[in-house]
Amino acid sequence: MIKTFGHLTAMFTILSVSAFGGGKVVLPTMQQQAVNQFHWMSNQQFVDLYGISIIDGPSMMVVTLVGLKACLEYGYLIAILGALVATVAMFLPSSILVLIVGRFWDKWHENPWHDSIQQAMMPISTGLILAAAWIITKHSIHSIPTAIMGLVALGLMLFTKLNPVIMIVAAAAISWAFLR
Amino acid sequence: MENQPEVAVSPVAPQTETGPANVPSIWELVFFFGLIGLTSFGGGLTAYIRRLAVTQKGWLTDEEFFSALAIVQILPGARVVGISVYIGNHLRGLFGAFVALISIMTPPFILVCILGFLYFHFGENTDSKALLAGVTAVACGLMASMVFEAGQKAIKGIFDIVMIIMTFLLVRLGHMHVQYVILLLAPVAIWWHRPRPKMEAVGDQKKEEAR
Repeated sequence: MIKTFGHLTAMFTILSVSAFGGGKVVLPTMQQQAVNQFHWMSNQQFVDLYGISIIDGPSMMVVTLVGLKACLEYGYLIAILGALVATVAMFLPSSILVLIVGRFWDKWHENPWHDSIQQAMMPISTGLILAAAWIITKHSIHSIPTAIMGLVALGLMLFTKLNPVIMIVAAAAISWAFLR
Repeated sequence: MENQPEVAVSPVAPQTETGPANVPSIWELVFFFGLIGLTSFGGGLTAYIRRLAVTQKGWLTDEEFFSALAIVQILPGARVVGISVYIGNHLRGLFGAFVALISIMTPPFILVCILGFLYFHFGENTDSKALLAGVTAVACGLMASMVFEAGQKAIKGIFDIVMIIMTFLLVRLGHMHVQYVILLLAPVAIWWHRPRPKMEAVGDQKKEEAR
């Protein structure tokens, strides 16, 4: 049990600090290790768990389920502990990195270069968001109802001050009721 | 600009040049990030955070948000978690960052654990896919709206438009990793936007001459 915790911690800490460009980059490595190296689950189970994990939260919630499954044989309580260990190992190291860089960045506020960098990063950030929007659209708009929902959301965002929480909850309800 | 109602909402907002406009309490942060964690179905999350933190709460300016977003993307890890930690620290320091991280992670952690147990107990996939179809469609709308809003703030001239297109092309067609794109283009963009009081003076002179 302790050994499994150790494996989870080591594996996800390394993945955490090597997930350059977002969590999806380390997904194949994670699958390889969870399935072939540690034999925590079958390939199909990993794919299923990934499908479950994308329902809520940041993109890498699958690590929670990998931790859960890895410790499931020791009982439910230990399984939750395993999920916690895996989640902390995955999200804490990268967060500490952001914290350090963020603090440094904010401290730099007086420097004239701060504004330069800020202004310079704007168009790059915009380009990245454009690329991300493009990818999501390609993968999730594949019928007329979904296209309409996307466009309505865009319109509401641009022309009203409606809280996106309401839009997302409404979309979930509509989706569950009509698109099943 | 027309669509800046946030200034009217928070009387302190015009002074955003020197740090966060209005500092929220820790409990406000817990509620804010907890709510996002609870309702962050299916992506598009950064647009969602921006709308709430920048437009509605006025905690950061767009410039602060988007440059932090770029910085977060150079570093490893999930973008959403990174930007949350950044905002938490920006508003309330170390403790704020900690609270942001815990608050945004706890709701999905609990939800995903429950779904995981159901999966292993009943051995079948729940219909999360059906639920997500509409939600991801809305997420597209949120992301697309952020393109417009970021673009509005980003574009100060032809150079910025070229940078947007270059970034997009390198990521989409060049299939380059995000952090390499940033490391490649950022020095050029920073140099272009470098502090240059003399050049501005020259620019003003030209304007004067034009008159």
